Amino acid sequence: MNRTLHYVIYFVVLIVLQLLIFNNIQFSGYVNPYVYVMFILILPMAIPSWILLLLSFMTGFVIDIFSGTMGVHAFATVMAGFARPWVISLNVTAESSEPETSPSSQTSGLRWFFIYAVTVVFIHHLSLFFIEVFSFSNFFHTLLRVLLSTAVTTFFIVLFDIIRPRR
Amino acid sequence: MRSLLNFLLRYKTLIIFLILEAVALVMISSSHNYHQSVAYGAARSISGFVAKRIENGHSYFRLRQVNQELIAENLQLRHRIEKLETVQKPGLTSVSDSASGIRYNYLSARVINNSVNKQKNFITLDRGSRHGVTTGMGVASSTGVVGVIVGVSRNYSVAMSLLNTDFKLSASIAQNDYFGSLAWNGRNYRYAQLSEIPHHVAITEGDTIVTSGYSAIFPPGLMVGTLTGDLKKGGDFVTLKVLLSADFKKLTDVYLIGNLTRHEREAVEEEVTNE
Repeated sequence: MNRTLHYVIYFVVLIVLQLLIFNNIQFSGYVNPYVYVMFILILPMAIPSWILLLLSFMTGFVIDIFSGTMGVHAFATVMAGFARPWVISLNVTAESSEPETSPSSQTSGLRWFFIYAVTVVFIHHLSLFFIEVFSFSNFFHTLLRVLLSTAVTTFFIVLFDIIRPRR
Repeated sequence: MRSLLNFLLRYKTLIIFLILEAVALVMISSSHNYHQSVAYGAARSISGFVAKRIENGHSYFRLRQVNQELIAENLQLRHRIEKLETVQKPGLTSVSDSASGIRYNYLSARVINNSVNKQKNFITLDRGSRHGVTTGMGVASSTGVVGVIVGVSRNYSVAMSLLNTDFKLSASIAQNDYFGSLAWNGRNYRYAQLSEIPHHVAITEGDTIVTSGYSAIFPPGLMVGTLTGDLKKGGDFVTLKVLLSADFKKLTDVYLIGNLTRHEREAVEEEVTNE
């Protein structure tokens, strides 16, 4: 129960940070960090994948409601949630990863967490920006936005992971 | 039956994934006429409430600049009044002219949510149906055209920003009245593109671009932006780069423009085109 509450607090904090701070960060229309994806990243290692998908959808949907982009974030976040188990399995190094723990740089190492975060964030941003434009014209322009935003989002997620409180 | 069940269990993650993505896609595709959706109206009331509280704090820091803009606009309007009065005085006889009645009504509103970094940007305003806002009203700031209202709830309304790749505006070059279609290509939020201008039109950098008045939304002659030297040639028409006069990154106070004779105009236009 305590554990669930823990994640509810993370959820609320990340959504509020996203809406009040990160949605207002705009560098010449290229960089839009979406740090709320961190919620998908820090869910327990052994979470059943269907629960992960439902939580992903819910997270994206809440962001959608508050930024008036119906379905766009929901689509991208479900994509990220679907990719997460696959990214973890590709990237197994840490035997220390017990099923109950939340993926973090502390339990699995900074290098592992960085590769894990950057991959999931890239998948999320790739689907997000292309669904938002809804065309492959200006392909490289959109791809540039994806890459730059992925870099900034990952930077903030790794930073938050290092400073986030442990139980 | 048993094997079907096994199949479903085995691929339940994939199936849930596909269902959720399908739901998201349906939401995206239906969001083009989203202003009709009731669920979205409710969500807008909540997010509008939050956004308004934040904007209340922000607005104090922009007061000085807003004041300057208002003074500049007042001055411009005074000049206009002066001109009108001097023209009409000599030998004026009263002729009842139904065409000279009031065509447009204006409503002030404050921007409470805005973005410039998406491909489809929308602006939330603190005026709703309670204040007489309807969909299809034009939105302009004291510096230039901003967008058009696409959704209204009781206390809030949402405008499609000019910085939305779906937005098209009929605009003309003030100097020679040639008109074209103005749209944003989704890149730099300071520039829009004016297309369909014939090849032979003489263009000088810095020419003023105004609304043409060919759509029923904006009155003619409303400031949109100025031409910059950059132009693209192709075929019979040229596309011109327009520096937008409204700075979308610091929008605070805007006007809503309602066309009182809009329905009449659209009805008669439709009547003709249907025949």
